[in-house]
Amino acid sequence: MRNFLVSSIVALAVVLAFSPVAGAQVFSGPGQVDQRPDSLYQRLEKTGGTGGPAPTRDLTGFWTGPLEPKLGQAPPMTALGQTRFKANIPDPFSVHSNDPWGTCDPFGFPRSVTNETRGIAFSPMPDRIVIMTQYQKIWRAVWMDGRPLPKNVGAKGGPEAKWYGYSVGHWDGDHTLVVETNGVDDRSWLDRRGYPHSVDMHVEERYTRLDHNTLELTVTIDDPKIYTKPFVVATNRFKWIPNQDDEEQLCVPSEMISYFNTVALPANQDEVTGKK
Amino acid sequence: MKLKLVTLLAWVVCFLMVRAPLFAHHGNVAYDTSKTIVLKEATVTKFVWANPHSVVMFDAKDDKGNVQHWAGEAGSPSALGLIGWSSKSIQPGDVITVYIYPAKTGRPVGRLNRIVLADGTVLKDSALGYRETE
Repeated sequence: MRNFLVSSIVALAVVLAFSPVAGAQVFSGPGQVDQRPDSLYQRLEKTGGTGGPAPTRDLTGFWTGPLEPKLGQAPPMTALGQTRFKANIPDPFSVHSNDPWGTCDPFGFPRSVTNETRGIAFSPMPDRIVIMTQYQKIWRAVWMDGRPLPKNVGAKGGPEAKWYGYSVGHWDGDHTLVVETNGVDDRSWLDRRGYPHSVDMHVEERYTRLDHNTLELTVTIDDPKIYTKPFVVATNRFKWIPNQDDEEQLCVPSEMISYFNTVALPANQDEVTGKK
Repeated sequence: MKLKLVTLLAWVVCFLMVRAPLFAHHGNVAYDTSKTIVLKEATVTKFVWANPHSVVMFDAKDDKGNVQHWAGEAGSPSALGLIGWSSKSIQPGDVITVYIYPAKTGRPVGRLNRIVLADGTVLKDSALGYRETE
């Protein structure tokens, strides 16, 4: 009994030593700790500092974030929501997934801010701010001239739904940009987990610049056809990139197809277990 | 008896909680991560430097001396670039040693732990390269 307890504790300690949460530390020799290097974002969170106070009503520039944001728990779904959710099979690197990411289909919105979030940038234009997602080089123009969101999108006689929808924005105080979006084509997933949305979804992003170097984001979904109440689908944090350089990150269809044929298909575990 | 079961359950739960984040981004459930296969004198046939997975394709002999055509996946260029890899790290014809977690299907495909170049340079995978093997 006691031996079992002791060995369980030892096993747990070994397992925790491999914990990626602890920064993937592994002992590779006597007295040696081999740690995976931090990403730019991780380094800046540790040592980047505030850079001084946040400028007034200005997010212009290039920001770096973690690979993925913190995803929120979805509330109970309507019957329609549940049906649509069941039809989505996540994990685009597995053979049986129907994640549109598997063929580099457009992420759409809000997936462009809930999945692959290593880089984001803001660029001002007259009457608009352009929000740019590094992954897939996705851009969205947000009207800042006070116009309302369109109505009846996707309905007969109304404007067409778009993969990235229609966005308008305003400043809440001097440091928070509020962006509202509707009219999003319902083929896209909210995030990599496969949560669906309808064309009537309304999304609010709140970008708050805490100081010169730090930006926080909250993404809230309001889609009564699918979700029984509004909810925060993602929160994220970005740091100002010191040399303002971005990286190129693209989903290339031919590379995805090649990956599928050379890796995903031969490694298809479902074949081994016999389940479809 | 009850305490044994509770302890075992707690251990399993903790194990799953700790493993999940590592695999949260890309599913590695298809690979047997309890052991690595070491393939010496592997000849690179193709190196795909791509998002979200880079792939090293190589030929290596099995125990019986038959040439197997392998594919070993690794992290994205962003992740690998941080730990010493580049698109020029290897090219077709290079002879390397490969440490790989094989697919449970038994096919010659897997997730890289690391590769060792002819000059001794060690290039680890960004996700699974920081686990010790052997």
